[in-house]
Amino acid sequence: MKRDFKVVHHSVAKVDSLSMALGKPLYVPDLVPPGALQVKMLWSPHAHARIVSIDTTEAEAMPGVRCILHHENVPRIEHTTAGQGHPEPSPYDTFMFDNKVRHVGDRVAAVAADTVAQAEAAVDAIKVEYEVLPPILDAEVAMDEGAPVIHDEPEAHVVIPTPFDPARNLAAQVGMDIGKLEDGLAEADAVCEDEYAVHFAQHCPMEPHCAFAQVASDGRLYITTSTQVPFHVRRIVSRIIEVPIQKIRVIKPRIGGGFGTKQEILLEGVVALMAWRTGKPVYWKYTREEEFVSSRTRHPVRIRMKLGAKKDGTMTAISMDALSNTGAYGAHSLTVACNVGGKMLPLYRCPNIHFDAQVVYTNMPVPGAYRGYGATQAAFPLECMMDELAEKLGIDPLKLRTINHIKAGETSPVFRALGEGKPGIEQSIGSCALGKCISEGAKAIGWKKRGQPAKKKGRFRRGIGMACLMQGSSIPEIDMGAATMKMNEDGSFNLLVGATDIGTGSDTVLAQIAAETLGTAADKMIVYSSDTDLTPFDVGAYASSTTYLSGAAVLDCASKVRKQILAVGGVLLGCKPVDLTTAEGLVVKKDGTGSVTFSEVALHSLYTADQHQIGAISSKITHKSPPPFAAHFAEVEVDTWTGRIKLLNYVAAVDCGTAINPKLAEGQSEGATLNGISYALTEEYLFSPKGKVMNANFSHYKIFSMVDKPTIQTLLIPSYETTGPCGAKSVSEISINGPIPAIGNAIYNATGVRLKKTPFTADRVWAALKAAGVALG
Amino acid sequence: MSVSLRCVEASDLLLPGSLPEALAMMAEPEPPTPLAGGTDLMVQCEAGARKPPARLLSLKQLPELKGIDEADDTIRIGAGATHWQIRNHADVKVGLPGLVEAVSMVGGRQIQTMGTIGGSLANGSPAGDIAPYLLIADAVVEVASIEGTRQIPIRNFLIDYRKIDLKPNELIVAVTCKVLPEGAKEGWRKLGPRAAQAISKIMGNYRGKIVDGVIESFAVSLGSVAPTAIRLPEVEAFLVGKPLSEETIAEAERLASASVKPISDIRSTAEYRKWVAGRLVRGFLTSFTKGNEGSEGSEGCES
Repeated sequence: MKRDFKVVHHSVAKVDSLSMALGKPLYVPDLVPPGALQVKMLWSPHAHARIVSIDTTEAEAMPGVRCILHHENVPRIEHTTAGQGHPEPSPYDTFMFDNKVRHVGDRVAAVAADTVAQAEAAVDAIKVEYEVLPPILDAEVAMDEGAPVIHDEPEAHVVIPTPFDPARNLAAQVGMDIGKLEDGLAEADAVCEDEYAVHFAQHCPMEPHCAFAQVASDGRLYITTSTQVPFHVRRIVSRIIEVPIQKIRVIKPRIGGGFGTKQEILLEGVVALMAWRTGKPVYWKYTREEEFVSSRTRHPVRIRMKLGAKKDGTMTAISMDALSNTGAYGAHSLTVACNVGGKMLPLYRCPNIHFDAQVVYTNMPVPGAYRGYGATQAAFPLECMMDELAEKLGIDPLKLRTINHIKAGETSPVFRALGEGKPGIEQSIGSCALGKCISEGAKAIGWKKRGQPAKKKGRFRRGIGMACLMQGSSIPEIDMGAATMKMNEDGSFNLLVGATDIGTGSDTVLAQIAAETLGTAADKMIVYSSDTDLTPFDVGAYASSTTYLSGAAVLDCASKVRKQILAVGGVLLGCKPVDLTTAEGLVVKKDGTGSVTFSEVALHSLYTADQHQIGAISSKITHKSPPPFAAHFAEVEVDTWTGRIKLLNYVAAVDCGTAINPKLAEGQSEGATLNGISYALTEEYLFSPKGKVMNANFSHYKIFSMVDKPTIQTLLIPSYETTGPCGAKSVSEISINGPIPAIGNAIYNATGVRLKKTPFTADRVWAALKAAGVALG
Repeated sequence: MSVSLRCVEASDLLLPGSLPEALAMMAEPEPPTPLAGGTDLMVQCEAGARKPPARLLSLKQLPELKGIDEADDTIRIGAGATHWQIRNHADVKVGLPGLVEAVSMVGGRQIQTMGTIGGSLANGSPAGDIAPYLLIADAVVEVASIEGTRQIPIRNFLIDYRKIDLKPNELIVAVTCKVLPEGAKEGWRKLGPRAAQAISKIMGNYRGKIVDGVIESFAVSLGSVAPTAIRLPEVEAFLVGKPLSEETIAEAERLASASVKPISDIRSTAEYRKWVAGRLVRGFLTSFTKGNEGSEGSEGCES
């Protein structure tokens, strides 16, 4: 099935890297029109309160103040900020401004003024009277009898029929049963049961959320925004500010990172309404503190996990009961929970699987989409418990996984049972190199030298741990990507895609797929993404979909264009298209007796005879979500005196099908791995007893920087996914899921102590060692 | 988009050409705020933690604050010496090896290039990376005003949380440290959340000498466990004259844990700091008898 690729599977230069390196004005803040009004928001100081009154009289009279928005002067339209397809699977529980605030850092009122200082001064002058309500700051008590009701507004509802009970603070619920769990546990020779939990985290894109809006000379509203989902921005903003879609254009320039947080429609509605009302350009950029408190976070999830297996390692039972904390609003509440089960449970063959997830409201910062999207939360309990199970059975953890993991040609009932807000799509695995990921990764980390914890003594103890992972590639039969292409006189092509390059390199990858299909070089592609006036629709950059889904649309579009090129080539060369092929920007006769350049073809088609524009548009959906697979390995050194974890070595062996651009694929995997390591070891939200974030800055919320980076080896293990463009599957998310379980298992291998709560900070590790009597030695 | 820095926008910058000129400006009724590397001041203003001062007095260009000079058994470091200059200075590397280690872990490369030893002291943070070293090197801080010069031992200079013995019209001019005596050893350890640009959970320094298995001298200091960096006099008094045995080490560890009264804050808990204080002292003492266990780099700042 594998092909001899000319452009694909080569590390061509990223199409936008030079202009970025030269500091060209490419990003939203670079493009703000002169004279734009500046926005500042009055944020709630309370975790839970009703706004009794709001007085903006003084603020409105202050110099430079042009517009103030609050719940009394904007349309009251319930919606979700989750930038998902229509109709969204997240509850409609949000208003642009509401008469109630639900977390510290929730919106109260926005000011647009000539300068930032004027806007800040006006924000300080707004008088608000609050009726403070008791908050819920612990997901475990959110559904207790008599708990305060966070969403008591009558408008809150779900638009697709899914469990939703705001009176009990239940934002979503999902579950499934395959076989009979009790039978599976009864026939098991070894059973493990435990509780694990992961914590809040921030995406920390180097560019915070930012957007500006202006009324253009055509009388329409242009929104330039740092977003992952320009088409969803247009649809949702149109709804919440009551301006028709026809009147709105959304432009996505270069983006300084998203990781899921920019799948939310947060700033766009405010700047759009202010521009619409004032007629002036309006610009808003979050501060870093606002990014931490008032953008989006990762859903903290507590999971009660059970596994059962027979003596020979055959798994008989898997059970996962999850409690997910969706904070003040239900953005992605249901779908992240679906993916807690859906993205990891198919990994192991098992006849009896139970899954249940409850998602509850609390008065805490709002989680949303975050790279990994539920799989990160599930990988910790599942993969740590696989190690627990292996130990009980006396089987090597690698062998237990090798015996049980899903293989090419197999399916899992989980695929059909769990979709995203509706039943999933049945699929069989087309490509799976997980076995090789395990064996190659084990070799690279030196698995054989790991030893047993009981034999490890002394202050510094080393251990090796691993985890197996899977993710998906797109949301099947829901998401759609499209591409438009046209040919120019010099043999170059405009490739217009709705697919949203947010720094991921997707423009480059899509150019490679187009060039490979056409038979020319990647640098002949002029890629433009994404602009709702100029590019065709695409759902945007999420669900690990761009290469697999949008890439398929590009491949199809390029195939159509190639056919037209061959037709004109046939006219010029006096033969039938079937006797022709394309290579290196030429149409050549298969018998080698003649050729014409792409430029000659284009000139002929545009100027000479039967004039027409060579070009096409294609759109694609997917019928599968082929999982990429990975085996991650970590080697740690635990300082038993202080609890400090030193990560000595990390190996990520990843099967992403054909790596369209190996260097970019490695970069995606390495970036996700480091993201996961940072989450595992240092990143942590700290809250005051009243629910205020205490460390909303990089001084006290530490992310790993390059000097912290341990040795990370990325091994791209080849496979070929026949349903993917040029054999590709996704690579962007999977590797964030590995570090927590791999490091957790390595700590256990070093010390015999199992950590069940993240992050593994020195303090927390020390406390666990102390409780086990290890730190006292 | 221009870069907006609150200090730059809000403050006037004074640029005296010499120390006397600077001291004259400091003697005015409302003295300006001294600005060295700005690695604390600018960050605090930008974060809104302090109001940008109306006037800043730049110290960078003052020739009298530069220079690192060795005398018999001391090294005098000008307050304007940057961390980067200190860590690369040949005499400091030999005479004050623990200081080289300490400044090497201040912030990252950019902070070390801009930040100065005088600025670090003036900031007065209990989590500062340098003060614990100055305590075990018996440093003397030299401060000046138009009225004259004062020499203040570092233990007196550090008064309380963010409070130092520096009058509003005074500038820190230099810090003089005692060099490591012949046959003595010193070391340093910091625990933070990651490898660089991280404020410590706890940190410490020691300087000591063992002769024929008996502790002749031992000085130990800790940061982030009290309102200022502190020496541990009970531990030191206990150790001098004792044989370096497991019994001695265990008692010193116990004394160290018992004698500190840290707080819980955003970076760590009191319980953890108390425990690690003891472990640091144990680690310092065992480093006399053997190399550190574990891998290269297990000492120093850690993630």
